[in-house]
Amino acid sequence: MANRTIPRLLQTPAIVLLLFWMLVPLSMTLFFSFIRYVLASTNRPEWTSPSISNWRGFGNYQYVWNQDSFWLAIQNSLLIVCSILFLTVILGVAIAILINRTFPGRGIVRVLLISPFFVMPAVNAVLWINMLLDPVLGLQGAAVAGANDLVALLRDAPVVGSFFSLWPQFEPISFRATQTSAYAVIMMVTWQWTPFAVLILMTSLQSEDQQQKEAAILDGASRWSQFRFLTLPHLARPIAIVVMIQAIFHLSLYAEIEIVSRGNGNKNLPYYIGELVNNNIGAASATGIFAVILANIVAIFLLRMLGKTLME
Amino acid sequence: MAIVAQHTKFSKVAWPVLAWAVGLLFFFPIFFMVMTSFKTDADAVKPEFLFRFTPTLENYTNMTNNYDYWRFATNSVITSVTATLFTLFVAVPCAYAMAFNPSRGTKDILMWMLSTKMLPAAAVLYPMIFMAKSLGIYDTKFLIVMVLSLINLPIAVWMLFTYFKDIPKDIIEAGQMDGLNTWGEVREILIPLAWGGIASTALLVFIFCWNEAYWTVRLTTIDAATLSKLIEGNRAPEGLFFGRLSAVSTAAVGPIVVLGWFCQKQLVQGLTFGAVK
Repeated sequence: MANRTIPRLLQTPAIVLLLFWMLVPLSMTLFFSFIRYVLASTNRPEWTSPSISNWRGFGNYQYVWNQDSFWLAIQNSLLIVCSILFLTVILGVAIAILINRTFPGRGIVRVLLISPFFVMPAVNAVLWINMLLDPVLGLQGAAVAGANDLVALLRDAPVVGSFFSLWPQFEPISFRATQTSAYAVIMMVTWQWTPFAVLILMTSLQSEDQQQKEAAILDGASRWSQFRFLTLPHLARPIAIVVMIQAIFHLSLYAEIEIVSRGNGNKNLPYYIGELVNNNIGAASATGIFAVILANIVAIFLLRMLGKTLME
Repeated sequence: MAIVAQHTKFSKVAWPVLAWAVGLLFFFPIFFMVMTSFKTDADAVKPEFLFRFTPTLENYTNMTNNYDYWRFATNSVITSVTATLFTLFVAVPCAYAMAFNPSRGTKDILMWMLSTKMLPAAAVLYPMIFMAKSLGIYDTKFLIVMVLSLINLPIAVWMLFTYFKDIPKDIIEAGQMDGLNTWGEVREILIPLAWGGIASTALLVFIFCWNEAYWTVRLTTIDAATLSKLIEGNRAPEGLFFGRLSAVSTAAVGPIVVLGWFCQKQLVQGLTFGAVK
């Protein structure tokens, strides 16, 4: 057909742009990962320009592989991503079921629930780590002080006073500390992405087969078995999609890490690369290739699943 | 109705109460931010003024003095709007061709496009800085527009494709019978029918551009810095500026949150690439 050329022509700009975006920077990363390349070096000035004569083979990969900080970054990445996934899926299923029923003001509740998703990540992090979680000046500080005052008050109360006199003072937690900063990130991202899970799971719940459900009720199926044998299997696919899309987004968390503690205690792979980029480009590029491999493991499964429904 | 009969009297009351409680709980941080933005910096950190305070607008009137807010906001608006328009300009013809003249390779091309979205940004950070600096476009709005367009192009093509695909082909064929050329098809049939889809794609792409926090932070210093960069640069006020920081944050996210309320449904399609409807 003569008509084939016009559709091709229409697709060309998008394809060329994305081909460039995919190939050029990634090839450069691949090249840099095989050479010695640093931004500043007084001893070896020849290493400061990207040149094939500085070939290092798999040296950068080996160097990164043997760094404890690299493995710590992988561990942090996985801890943060898996915790967020776990929490958002559990909360998402529960809340989706909760608001799938009609009740007065349902539309408003939906709007309230979805709002966190549109908050820009930088604001999300600044808001949580300062106004909400600051151990002294934030809401946490006020809440802990209030709880301590309440306990102090109850100590003098009749009957229960002797019980409360044994209570210790509550101590506020600093979420910028090494031990806790990952939890701050998990908390704020869970707050932001639970609405995403709710939105998708709720959309999916609306297409659940109601007749099947009514039949199950007539047969005397309990609430739990309705959920376990009808709703949950129905939600399996959307849950998988929620998990994979979030995994891809959260593997590249950056702003939250930076704002909470500048990588202290929650340094993930993108942040680690960001630090290496300040000088050791070779190592940063090798780490980047590892990050690509990690993301692709998730991406392959997601693409396969999406491909199945694409042409329906 | 069997389902209605199953609701006990208790759950009729408890269910809405619980749902409202969860909704308010999730909204609370935003409410808290907006509330703090009406307190003076001194009041904002005093527990005795937690919920009872004298509201003031000074944080909003001083936004320009404190943070040079409008310069960053202007950059955000310019880059997001331009990137959205450019994305659509490239994505609409592509999705149109794919939906109405699919070839054997169309599915693979779509899958490949999406796979570019899964490339971790950090992996290509240095090459991007390197190229931008060698071309002399580091910290320019042009660079930010290009990057924003590229990272959102796959989503735009996918979303538009899923909308266009649902337009019956018979209508297009009828148009061809009536002697419409390609441009006529687009103008007379496609745009009127797919208007809603194009609008919601634009809205979603705009929201993503506005909220982008990796490239806009790493590829700008001053000239092209967006609101994400502004907030990120004032990340740790140590309690001194909670009031004014809340005001600038509220101003940065307010319009987008409101915009988001209007495209909840499209969001599902856009974010799941049409796999959940």
